[in-house]
Amino acid sequence: MPSTRSFRYPLTWRLLDLAEEARRLLWPARWRRAVPYGLLLPAILLVGVIVAGLGYMADYSLRELDRSTFLLAEEYSLANFRTIAERPVYLRILWRSLLAAVIVTAICLVLAFPYAYMMVRTASPWARKALLIGLFLPFFIGQVVRAYGWLIVLGQQGLLNSALGWLGLGSVDVIYSYPGVLIGLVQYMLPFAVLMLAPAITAIPEDMELASQGLGARWPATLWHVVLPMAKPGLVAAGVVVFTITLTDFAIPEILGGGTTDFIANAIYDGFFAISDAGLGSALAVMLVALASFLVAVIFALVGVGTLGYVAERSR
Amino acid sequence: MPGGRSMRLIFWSVVWFNLLFLAIPTLIIVVASFTAGEIISFPPEGLSLRWYGELLDRGFQGAFLRSLEVAVLCTLVSLPVGTLAAIALVRYRLRGAAAWQVFLLLPFTVPLIVSGLGMMLVFGEIGILGQLWPVGVATCIINLPFMIWSVASSVNALDPDLEHAAANCGAPPLQAFLTVTLPAVMPGVITGGLIMFILAFNEFIVSLMLVDARIVTLPVLIYNSIRSVITPDLAAVSVVYILIAVVAIWLLDRLVGLEIFLKSK
Repeated sequence: MPSTRSFRYPLTWRLLDLAEEARRLLWPARWRRAVPYGLLLPAILLVGVIVAGLGYMADYSLRELDRSTFLLAEEYSLANFRTIAERPVYLRILWRSLLAAVIVTAICLVLAFPYAYMMVRTASPWARKALLIGLFLPFFIGQVVRAYGWLIVLGQQGLLNSALGWLGLGSVDVIYSYPGVLIGLVQYMLPFAVLMLAPAITAIPEDMELASQGLGARWPATLWHVVLPMAKPGLVAAGVVVFTITLTDFAIPEILGGGTTDFIANAIYDGFFAISDAGLGSALAVMLVALASFLVAVIFALVGVGTLGYVAERSR
Repeated sequence: MPGGRSMRLIFWSVVWFNLLFLAIPTLIIVVASFTAGEIISFPPEGLSLRWYGELLDRGFQGAFLRSLEVAVLCTLVSLPVGTLAAIALVRYRLRGAAAWQVFLLLPFTVPLIVSGLGMMLVFGEIGILGQLWPVGVATCIINLPFMIWSVASSVNALDPDLEHAAANCGAPPLQAFLTVTLPAVMPGVITGGLIMFILAFNEFIVSLMLVDARIVTLPVLIYNSIRSVITPDLAAVSVVYILIAVVAIWLLDRLVGLEIFLKSK
């Protein structure tokens, strides 16, 4: 006797049908063209909070602090920007941050390139895994904890000075100094730089390098004329990320600089919380945003978005 | 590997230097956490677990739990938001696609100190400052590009014909999304989710603006406790961070493989 048991519609199918029905109610088919914008909307709303915050700060930056009431003036003026231009300390801070960004970017790119290259090109999966872990461990340990680690290493009674004393070489004051801040920043930014570079190096066919070698180029020539030009999108992305984050960093100069080497972010923070002048702090913030955006825009205009874009070139 | 022996020698030397340089703060914290003395000195004055007793401190545990809450909330918000945004950006023809892309990179291009102060002003204005959940949302906002990058690289790698085939076989849009698109981009979703969790758990500067003494998060607590004399009391707390980082890396490697970060877009 043939089985007469009817086919049972599986539960997951019922649930899917139900979900589909709900979707039809919430988002009718005639709104199909709006689907991508609907998908994008939550992200746009969230990022909109930052834009709203920028709006507030632009507004504050144009209003001077009234020293008698400690409120910001109602009428707009450029007084805060004039104050910044008149005080040499702000120019010094700006110069210090820019110089640090240039130095740290240069060091990071030089250090990151061989790391990324070897990580991609090594034949040993174990070496590759070890290099990835060596990268992610510091990346996943926050800035504050790493700065604390550097305090232990570079501090007056720290590892470095104990080792120097042991060797009878006296001591050095690295902590609470510019070089100390730079060391902390390079260590903080290095994983970013490598992670931005690695995909660009993966995209270079190894055959290109072999061909260059086969045609008689020595490795420095191959590196200079083949690998580096082809790795440009990665170098651009890494450079932009390291430069902007260094330029605008707060924690490392604050903790490793100990108030002696303020960067722009520290000046903004002090504007708000140390001298309670939200107008002046906002004016500094507006200048920092303008400076960072201008530099990034120039680099993007000159050499493209690099690997920073969300959308791969070929799927456009 | 192309290149001669001299190239390999130079490159590997730089790699070893980098590995050491990257690992120094981590290693030193672990060593310092076992010191028996009141201050950190080298060589350490004996070994002890006394500083791990600090982990039982109420203030620390509260801050730890609050950071955990922030990180969980950040991850829960960013998973759907970032995934949908990445799919919209890569899969659909958007009007002004380039502009949307630049807009969604804003959390990355606007300096964190400025984003943090701006959100402090916005949250103050709408009266939610001083609560913990806005901190979670804020960490989601500032790190959202990491989520979108992760998922976008998976969407870029997905052949659109698979989704077309599903539609051709009669799958309505939601079903095609749930049974074809979503499973295919899962590596990106998991990677992004883990990164969002870790970044939120470590988040310092924006939290510094958004928390007060009652709802201080762990990185802010550590920052507030750093004194000019370096004592080992923070080392044990920092080791907790190192352990969580190790677990996260292990998970990432097990679930998707760390090599996903070497893939070219």
